[in-house]
Amino acid sequence: MIVFDNVTKRYPASGDAISQVSFSIEAGELVYVTGHSGAGKSTLLKLMAAIERPTNGTVLINNQNVNKLKESTLPYIRRKFGLIFQDHKLLYDRNCFQNVALPLAINGITGQEAAKRIRAALDKVGLLNKEKAMPITLSGGEQQRLAIARAVVSKPSILIADEPTGNLDKNYAADILALFKAFQQVGVTVIIATHDALGQASQQNKVLHLNQGRLSTSAHSEVNA
Amino acid sequence: MKTWLTYHVQALRLVLSRFQKNKLSTFLICLSIGVTLALPSTAYIILDNLDGLVSNVKSESKLSVFLSENHNDTLVATIQAALKQNPAIQHVLFVSKEDALAQLAVIDANKALLDTLPNNPLPDAFFVEPKLLDVISIESLKNELSKINGVEAVLVDGAWIKRLNYLLQLGQKVLVLLASLLGFALIVVIGNTIRMQVLTQQAEIELSKLIGATNSFIRRPFLYLGALYGLGGGILAALISWMIILVLNQTVTEMAASYQTDFKLIFSSNYAALTLLIIACLIGLISAYFSLSPIYKKS
Ligand SMILES: Nc1ncnc2c1ncn2[C@@H]1O[C@H](COP(=O)(O)OP(=O)(O)OP(=O)(O)O)[C@@H](O)[C@H]1O
Ligand SMILES: [Mg+2]
Repeated sequence: MIVFDNVTKRYPASGDAISQVSFSIEAGELVYVTGHSGAGKSTLLKLMAAIERPTNGTVLINNQNVNKLKESTLPYIRRKFGLIFQDHKLLYDRNCFQNVALPLAINGITGQEAAKRIRAALDKVGLLNKEKAMPITLSGGEQQRLAIARAVVSKPSILIADEPTGNLDKNYAADILALFKAFQQVGVTVIIATHDALGQASQQNKVLHLNQGRLSTSAHSEVNA
Repeated sequence: MKTWLTYHVQALRLVLSRFQKNKLSTFLICLSIGVTLALPSTAYIILDNLDGLVSNVKSESKLSVFLSENHNDTLVATIQAALKQNPAIQHVLFVSKEDALAQLAVIDANKALLDTLPNNPLPDAFFVEPKLLDVISIESLKNELSKINGVEAVLVDGAWIKRLNYLLQLGQKVLVLLASLLGFALIVVIGNTIRMQVLTQQAEIELSKLIGATNSFIRRPFLYLGALYGLGGGILAALISWMIILVLNQTVTEMAASYQTDFKLIFSSNYAALTLLIIACLIGLISAYFSLSPIYKKS
């Protein structure tokens, strides 16, 4: 589904954020991306979602080479992904319902059909009673869940979450991880970046551990449950 | 096709809902466009009316065809026949030099003066009323008549029509210039307004791009915004021009009455109003189109 072959991403300002990374992710997998702050987790996710193009090497998404795609076809690739950004990127000038409506609008889905899906997504993250609320009035955890609702509303086949449990307490974080597992269960490929210690999870799932932009094989366990 | 339509309806609805949220500022923007457009459109209506007036003034314009000294009655008859057959001529009147002298002599003071002359100084003449009254037709008729054998000179009366026509042409040129300048100013002003809105929605635009919006999806509402500003401004401009004409007409009809005509300014055809709206819309659209560069900036 997603294949990286010897990928390097260099930012002119700060050098290589990702160096010579190779791996592949199959459909339906749950994959963790781990590493210290600045290790390149966010950059790796952006490369996966065709938001950034690699400086060197090839990134294949559904067998399409991102580097060879025209700028005008990139939007259509990006629509396959549900993205949860490290900084949420919620729109604070509109309510929860309207925030979740945006990906559907981009896909040309409006009206009744859209409303139905938006409420289903809000329901899934437990925010159905907040559809009229403005994001600024939500707690940190609720904002996080709103971002998740927005990511899943267009039923993407790949869900990419950048530190979705970043500032949440442990119980809350567990709830949200359970939510992602539920998506994986129905066939969605889920990729989660985190700097938390994984504990149990690292035994059961694929882990891509980054160290200064390189995949470190030491923490790379592929013991599937 | 259906999704294409959905996208357009969606964009239009978004813009209309934003209008509704900012009624006052939307109205003020449209008003400033309307006032700017009202100036050239009113000037156009007035010029258009004057143009109609000029082509309606018949019989004011005559050609006097003077014959040369040595000719006989047969030549006069041939010329008269030729003039009568000329398709560009409405009416011909022959005045012989004797008749002309007699007319002058009706006044006593003239009679005394004429008595001092040894012989009749006046030529035989035809007075010709042309069918078409525009400058070019009259000029070509004049040239044609001067070439007839036995014709000494052709004079055009009503030179004021010619002058008025030149003035109208000058007015039209000034109008085109004025309209272009104002149009340019409008594009700058509307463009700036839209650019401000693009900038306030930068967060949404960036997010939309990240989750797969095409450039045209992002551009569409702003293009509608521009076109609708233009349309609103165009409608207001039409209303303002209509009111100006209404006010002017009070004076114009009084003045016209003193000239014994019932001339007044008419808010011209629906066609002209439609043209105004289309031009206004286009100006809005063009302004929007040129103010969208922040959208294409890579995030
Ligand atoms: N747009 C950018 N321009 C320049 N440099 C960048 C950009 N994005 C990331 N970098 C650099 O790339 C490196 C990796 O950044 P990245 O955001 O991928 O780290 P991260 O693992 O997500 O860190 P964190 O856990 O703090 O989010 C950093 O050194 C950062 O400065
Ligand atoms: Mg990060």
